[in-house]
Amino acid sequence: MITQRGFVVVFAGVLLLTSGFSFVNFYLVLLGVYCVIGLVVTLPLFAMTANLAGIEVDRQIDKVKLFSGDFLRVRVTIRNVSRRHFDFIEVHDQYPETWILAIGENFIASRIEPGSSMIFSYILQARMRGRYFLGPTEVIMRDRLGLHYYKRILKEQTEVLVYPTWKDVRRLDSFAKQRQLGLMFGAHRTKTVGMGTDFAGFREYVPGDEFRLIDWKASAKRGDMVVKQWEQEKNVQIICMVDTSGSMGNGYPENTKLEYAIRAAVLLTHMGLERKDLVGTCVFSDIVNGYVPPGTRPNHMYDVLEVLAMAEPKGWSDYESAIAHVVTQSKKRSFIIWLTDLEESPAPLLNAMKTLVANGHKSIVISPFGPWFEAPVGQFGPVEKVLSEAVSEELWERRNKIARALSRFGINVINVGPEDFLPTIIKTYEQAKQRGVATF
Amino acid sequence: MKVVTWILRIASIATFAYMAYLVYSILNPNDIWHWDAPYSFVVTVFRLLSLIVFFLATTMVSGLASAFTGGVLPENVIVGLYNTLILRTWYMQPYGVADPLTNIQQVWASFQMNLSNVILALWNNTFLFLYFLCAGIGIALFLQSLVRMDHKFVGGAFISIQAIVILAAFRALIVPDIAPFPADFMEFLLTQGQILALVSFAYLEVSYQMIYSASVGKPVEDREETLKKQLLALRQATRKQDAIERGEKVSTTGMSRSTGATAFSFLREAMERKVLGSQSALESLDAVSDVRRLQIYVDDLLLSDSRARDELTAKAAAPSSSYVIGSTITGSAIRFLTVVAVSFILMSPNVIRMILNLPIGIENSVEMLQPEIVVLFLVPIVGLFPFTAAVISWVSRREVVEKEKLSEEEKDAAKKRKKDLAQKRRETEKARRARAKVRKARKGIESEVDEWDRALEDTFKR
Repeated sequence: MITQRGFVVVFAGVLLLTSGFSFVNFYLVLLGVYCVIGLVVTLPLFAMTANLAGIEVDRQIDKVKLFSGDFLRVRVTIRNVSRRHFDFIEVHDQYPETWILAIGENFIASRIEPGSSMIFSYILQARMRGRYFLGPTEVIMRDRLGLHYYKRILKEQTEVLVYPTWKDVRRLDSFAKQRQLGLMFGAHRTKTVGMGTDFAGFREYVPGDEFRLIDWKASAKRGDMVVKQWEQEKNVQIICMVDTSGSMGNGYPENTKLEYAIRAAVLLTHMGLERKDLVGTCVFSDIVNGYVPPGTRPNHMYDVLEVLAMAEPKGWSDYESAIAHVVTQSKKRSFIIWLTDLEESPAPLLNAMKTLVANGHKSIVISPFGPWFEAPVGQFGPVEKVLSEAVSEELWERRNKIARALSRFGINVINVGPEDFLPTIIKTYEQAKQRGVATF
Repeated sequence: MKVVTWILRIASIATFAYMAYLVYSILNPNDIWHWDAPYSFVVTVFRLLSLIVFFLATTMVSGLASAFTGGVLPENVIVGLYNTLILRTWYMQPYGVADPLTNIQQVWASFQMNLSNVILALWNNTFLFLYFLCAGIGIALFLQSLVRMDHKFVGGAFISIQAIVILAAFRALIVPDIAPFPADFMEFLLTQGQILALVSFAYLEVSYQMIYSASVGKPVEDREETLKKQLLALRQATRKQDAIERGEKVSTTGMSRSTGATAFSFLREAMERKVLGSQSALESLDAVSDVRRLQIYVDDLLLSDSRARDELTAKAAAPSSSYVIGSTITGSAIRFLTVVAVSFILMSPNVIRMILNLPIGIENSVEMLQPEIVVLFLVPIVGLFPFTAAVISWVSRREVVEKEKLSEEEKDAAKKRKKDLAQKRRETEKARRARAKVRKARKGIESEVDEWDRALEDTFKR
């Protein structure tokens, strides 16, 4: 293959040859012949030496699973296993478009001796969750003058799974520190009077109470029989339903409704695990893409992260299938938090809620409102502004109707935007804890 | 590698200077190197424009004046006065106009007479100007090539200098030529045209070698430089953050200045407490956090792995200078000799005549003395080299067709994923159909309409 600079030489050669023929000038013809012959004369020799199959590329990474925003070192080793040297070799190791090259460079150009190897590395930052592949690697070999080249693409790829961002959890931890300082009121454990270890108070004795519960000292003071009461600490079971239908992918890149829903789900799971609550996650669209039942296993968080990392906005929201799956899997009473944009037909949603309530579960819908995730109206021209406002109003009216229908059955719909999505999920969880919804 | 590049840079300067000098000296007998040629050209262009504008202005004014005076041309006195007072005050006097032109017919006659003279002068001046222009562009591109190390500038400089010869040949001036083409190889080597051609080709060769030397060593050097800059920038950024944090801390809490990390943590918490929900503030906080985390990551990496720095700079990948010098000399020499020898065989009809043992009629034909004969031999011989290369490539089977290699486990996993997904879809579809069937069966029964259905109906009605 002739390179760009090879074509410059071809152009010069042809120009000189045609000029020489036109003006019957042997000097110009000779120089043209020099250029053309100079271009092709080393081609057989280059073809003989340029054995690209003799190049092996090996890619190593520090870890195959990482969080969005984390850094990853990629080490690339290039080996010349042939018996000839390569005068000029370029190696480009490709990485996903959305990632950022933080330190170093992802390519190298040098000369490589037979049997020797070169190692280079670079540091990347994974920006968005998902399943990514590092590679392929492009190897280009040029002759000394750079007139010809051979190219080979080594398609070997390295899979990397990027979990959703952990920054919200870090922020929450900083809140926790503040709470220790008494600056903020934190989460409360659901407490019910019953068998426990913490003292709750006294009440009058009623026939049937066990004698061992009678506090004789207090009874003597009061002159009436009183029994001691103890608090029993209860935990809640929550299932987070993350809608991954196509419409959830709308919004600014990295700030789509789905991304926020995933961040909310991660935060919720973390909070639940911290307080020994059971939090499950169901990722659904027209099928159930993944379901992690509520649990407190050491790897539970990673299971949830893995399911969320693989979520892609596509398909439509089949609420009925999703809830049918969850209800079959989870027999205990649960508090089900829907993270959905309510952009599907309301009938399936109501049917799903019907199933949910019939099985004794409680529910709430936290719904990202589409227009709040899109470009600000101020950036539009007058026509787009009017259109977007009309669409917004229509959507708002539609979701109000759905909210009214659901409120009849005690299911609240909270409309959220990018700014209040995460605070809302925290608040919802805290309220559920305080009210003791779906305790077990 | 820098030394090698500098040696080749000097060689490139020498060959370019010699090539330019040869072109200058060979074309000098034509008396084309008038140093005022660019000035003359510009002046001539303006004179032509001036003449055209003068003619148009006078004609238009006369036309307008006649329109207002009922089709009668203005008086000679008025035209003369207008031309004298208005047009003659121009800095650029219209070409060939010396005296006041008193009527429009004189203006037209003058225009017709002078236009051809100006255009002819412009034609001559244009070529003189073009020689200088090509030389100027050639030198500019050559200087660029020394700094930027880009083949485009080398090619541009080479073509620009040769363009002077091409232009001179077009004007049928005395130009370097090798006619009749010598049959003796030594005689051929010593002709003036051949020396110029050889020097010109040497310039291309040396410059491309210079670019190779720079491009083979520079990426590694640049890489090291880039890494140094990146690490420095990172450290400065974190120090700056520390400084800002210390400033914040002093102004708000009065905590110790010595504990940067604590201060940062404190600031972060303070900011979060203050601005929770404000998107831009949180984003800037993320950026700060990212820089900090990157710094920690890099520090850990450099501490834990002693080879990390060398791998990031790819230090070991730098080629040795001695090899590059040796291979440059031998490679260029071989290429030179081959190119000159092959070109001589192609260009000299006598050699070909001897080799091919051509019939006497063809041997004595006029075409054998024309440059076009070269094409007859050039095309097949030039085609022979890529053909040989293709045969070699084909024989050695180096065109490896890369196929994505999946291990058995990966294949099984992919298959399982696909199967699971298909099964899920089937089951969901089945459940969906079952639900639809039940709903359809219930549709007509009034007692089956519960409060949920009513809520749904109400929702649609409103």
